[in-house]
Amino acid sequence: MTTLRAQGLTKVYREGAAEVVAVRDVSLAAEAGQVVGVMGPSGSGKTTLLSMLGAILRPTRGAIAICGRDIAGLDERELPLVRRRYVGFVFQSFNLFAALTAAENVEVALGLKGVPPGAARAEARRLLERVGLAHRAHALPRDLSGGEKQRVAIARALAGRPPLILADEPTASLDWRNGEQVMALLRQAAREAGSTVVVVTHDARVTPYLDVRLELRDGRVVG
Amino acid sequence: MVDIARKNLLHDRVRFLITVVGVTFSVVLITAQVGIYLGFMRGASIIIDNTAADIWITSANSANFDFPLGFSEAKLNKVKEAPGVASADLLILGWVGMRLKNGGAESIELIGFNPDTGVGGPWHLVEGSIQALKAGPGIIVDESAFSRLGHLRVGDLVEIVETRVRVVGISRGVRGLTTAPYVFTSYRTAQQIIPWLRDQTVFIVARVAPGYDPEEVAARLRQIRDVDVHTRRQYSLKTRLYWTIETGLGFGFALTVLMGVIVGSMIVGQTIYTSTIEHLREYGTLKAIGATNREIYAIVLRQALIHAAIGYVLGLAITLVVSRPIGAAGLVMVVPPWLMIAVLVVTVAMCLGASLLSVRRAVRVDPMLVFRA
Repeated sequence: MTTLRAQGLTKVYREGAAEVVAVRDVSLAAEAGQVVGVMGPSGSGKTTLLSMLGAILRPTRGAIAICGRDIAGLDERELPLVRRRYVGFVFQSFNLFAALTAAENVEVALGLKGVPPGAARAEARRLLERVGLAHRAHALPRDLSGGEKQRVAIARALAGRPPLILADEPTASLDWRNGEQVMALLRQAAREAGSTVVVVTHDARVTPYLDVRLELRDGRVVG
Repeated sequence: MVDIARKNLLHDRVRFLITVVGVTFSVVLITAQVGIYLGFMRGASIIIDNTAADIWITSANSANFDFPLGFSEAKLNKVKEAPGVASADLLILGWVGMRLKNGGAESIELIGFNPDTGVGGPWHLVEGSIQALKAGPGIIVDESAFSRLGHLRVGDLVEIVETRVRVVGISRGVRGLTTAPYVFTSYRTAQQIIPWLRDQTVFIVARVAPGYDPEEVAARLRQIRDVDVHTRRQYSLKTRLYWTIETGLGFGFALTVLMGVIVGSMIVGQTIYTSTIEHLREYGTLKAIGATNREIYAIVLRQALIHAAIGYVLGLAITLVVSRPIGAAGLVMVVPPWLMIAVLVVTVAMCLGASLLSVRRAVRVDPMLVFRA
């Protein structure tokens, strides 16, 4: 089943009188259970592309469909609802809530998806178990290592079994061992939960975990 | 969902504590100031409000209850003849000096009333009797005046304007606004003591017959020349407004209340704004994972409401606790239920208002922020 389909995606920013094309005519399709890597150097448009695929940024031109639903034409009020239903995010800087424990960080995502508090607590525990962090459920982010933080972020991204998980440089802040562990978890999520995982990165060590690899240069797919 | 608002507040306990103290201080300031003002106003019109009279007649253009002018007693008959008047009494008020037992002197506001009807006299006697005023020159002193006049007992002799009078009663709860205590005597004794009122009265107080509207009867009585006619409510209000506006008392209190609101708003506003800026990336993350603007501002406003609720409860409790020693020191603080509700509304409005700028910042955060390292 095709989870994600993008056709002719283009994003143009205006800088005064000049136009900057961040992403130009990108098309891709990803099946459920696949890990797709978007590789490229800094400034190649990877994050802009990821933002459009995650319904955070609206494309200037082109179409995006997640699970068959067209999202490119949705207005600002509808986009958050698409994100909470279809998309899980993993960020380079983890972006955990500093005042919340590991379990509560996962519960927030479940709460947004309408899971009742009691069920959310149990599900958060299960997800933390899945990423090997059940014993750190009550730890605050400041007491977690970088690898542990990213695993909590993955547990949060898996909350509610979203069909699409988007990871922005998920290994960039981690050492080799933790980076591998994070990629293994993302691939496991794709295989077991049937999610499509899109990873944007310039880190070559993720390559063995990818099913599909796109190379982006100056906003264009070059390979 | 996890209570992010509460968790964020408690995450920085020192800042949370400082803000709660700020709101509490603001609530104490507002409640105490309005409470003391209400206490003053109750004192200002205490005689009017506790006298069994529907209509008060004063000389024309007299400013308020405490500073009246005399007028002819003969007008009493005209008042009694007016349709709708059931009864009417003369009432005197004059500022005189009382010689104290310790040799000093104090100004008092001497009220001369008709002991047969008791209209205009004390409403709660703890000792003695009103009828004893008819036996000769006598006075009834209120307990609250002991701090100024010394501790008087029934049977004590005191001197008022070179007239020796005997204390025949002790009243309770007659504390006025001015520093001069109210002292009661009979109308005739008051006229003897105050030479410039020998053939004059200061008030005529009338009761309206059943079935008559005080407003209508007062309107008829306004045909009498050289007097002002008020219903009880009007005269009470006129007296309170005099003290509130003419003396600047109301402005002073209003200014302090305003300061309380400003201080509270600034503390809450500053805290929530700083907290919002510090958590801007988290708000961006929330938006990225699907939170709507409504959910974002609910978090910010909830932080404001938590401050408001805790600050209000603490502030009100402190105010009520300190009102007792303040009362014992002679300053009456009145905190009726409507004031508690009003302060709650002001506190909530203050905290919510102060957080609006933060709400704006939080909902405008670009979720793209989350992709920046």
